[in-house]
Amino acid sequence: MLVSWNYRYRNSPLDQIDPRARFIFSFAILFAATATWNPNILFGVFVLSVIWYSLGKLSWKDTKLGWMMISIMLFTMIVVNTIITGGGAGGVVPPGGQLVFPNGFKLFGRHLTFGLTVERLWFAVAQLMRILSISLVFIMIPYTMDSRAYGVTFSKLGLPDRLAYTMELSFRFIPTLARNFQVTLDAQRARGFELDAGRGNFVQKIRRVAPLIIPVTMNAIVSSEDIANAMDLRGFGQQKRTWLYELKFHWWDWAIIAFSALLLAAVLLLAFRFGMRLFSVPRWWYGLFA
Amino acid sequence: MENTQNKKKIWAFGTNQVVYAAIGAALYAVVTWAFNVWQIPGAGNVGIRPAIVIPMFFGIAFGPIVGFITGFVGNILADMLSGYGFWIWWDLGNGIIGLIPGLFSALIYKYNETKSILLGELSVILGSAVGMGVASLSELWVSGADMHTVIFANFLPAFLTNIIWGLILLPVLMIAYAAIVQRSGR
Repeated sequence: MLVSWNYRYRNSPLDQIDPRARFIFSFAILFAATATWNPNILFGVFVLSVIWYSLGKLSWKDTKLGWMMISIMLFTMIVVNTIITGGGAGGVVPPGGQLVFPNGFKLFGRHLTFGLTVERLWFAVAQLMRILSISLVFIMIPYTMDSRAYGVTFSKLGLPDRLAYTMELSFRFIPTLARNFQVTLDAQRARGFELDAGRGNFVQKIRRVAPLIIPVTMNAIVSSEDIANAMDLRGFGQQKRTWLYELKFHWWDWAIIAFSALLLAAVLLLAFRFGMRLFSVPRWWYGLFA
Repeated sequence: MENTQNKKKIWAFGTNQVVYAAIGAALYAVVTWAFNVWQIPGAGNVGIRPAIVIPMFFGIAFGPIVGFITGFVGNILADMLSGYGFWIWWDLGNGIIGLIPGLFSALIYKYNETKSILLGELSVILGSAVGMGVASLSELWVSGADMHTVIFANFLPAFLTNIIWGLILLPVLMIAYAAIVQRSGR
């Protein structure tokens, strides 16, 4: 079993940006997008997210799996819950409104009525902009951020050294544990173990995973004692930790951090001080259904 | 008698805990990634994860901090390996799934006793309820989903699959770990 990280250097503008600035921008987008249902603000945040995503120079092939996951989520939340059942709009969209199909419509020779309102349809658009804005900035992180940078990034963002180092160390263990997992799987298969055999009831099927998970977990625990001893012998935790992978701010990183702070402050001010927090439908949207 | 004399320091975070947490997180990521083919379609992308027992078990065995990091960091790594992106609120939920069994670890000394196993099972239910509850409720704020969607598309599929895996596999892991503890005199 080969484990490969999705990150590779693409010589993109995003590769030149400090990971700390990137996390700060991503969280500014998250809080800005979730602070309001105002269409203009959401559209502005969405455009910023699209620009940010384009800086990563990611191809569809790279991120296909992540987008498939988001599509399933969007389908459930928007198509099923907001458009078809109307449940997803509850609490945000006021009851009533203008019907999209006031006289119903014909399907396969039958006359059907559908309670979808113009307001609910706009809510679906707003929800789409909000979720996509957040998804665009967060889905790209594993593809565009070097795995060596996580530990030092979180340490420099204020996480205690031991916690940051735990994160760093877990990256290091992944290939080893993946190899152990494969060796265990092969060894159990050689003994007649069948993970996907169709026999047995529900509980038996679940218990069938045990011969795989138990040896892998117990081996990992036993070997971790040696690692801890080796770290203690080398004086782990005695002094403030230094990191092999150094981070350095450039002027553009400061500019991104300042922009993120301004963006968030502006959105919060507009939403909570100038009454632009609640859901509203633009006039032109009604015009489309007149 | 022995139990009261050697009280566990469940909030300790020394070198051993750093390594256990790192190993736990890596293990959770690898096993999740290996099983990621089992997805429940149309249920808020909630995967069937046998690996969810790993943060629960690491919490029970090594305390709440190790349990939390195993779930939190492990979920970040698993999503990175699988190409699913970075979803901090679900990572937090997975962390809580390890943290709550960790709180129960103070009451567990012999891992193969019926009482310990029952406490472990209780912690699985509580941990999954709170962890997936927090993660699912975050969707109210993040996605603007309503409570019905949050409960039926996010919370219930994740909660039910987690407790099924946890309730069945955690006792097996605890009994296996009891043998290791006994053999190595830990």
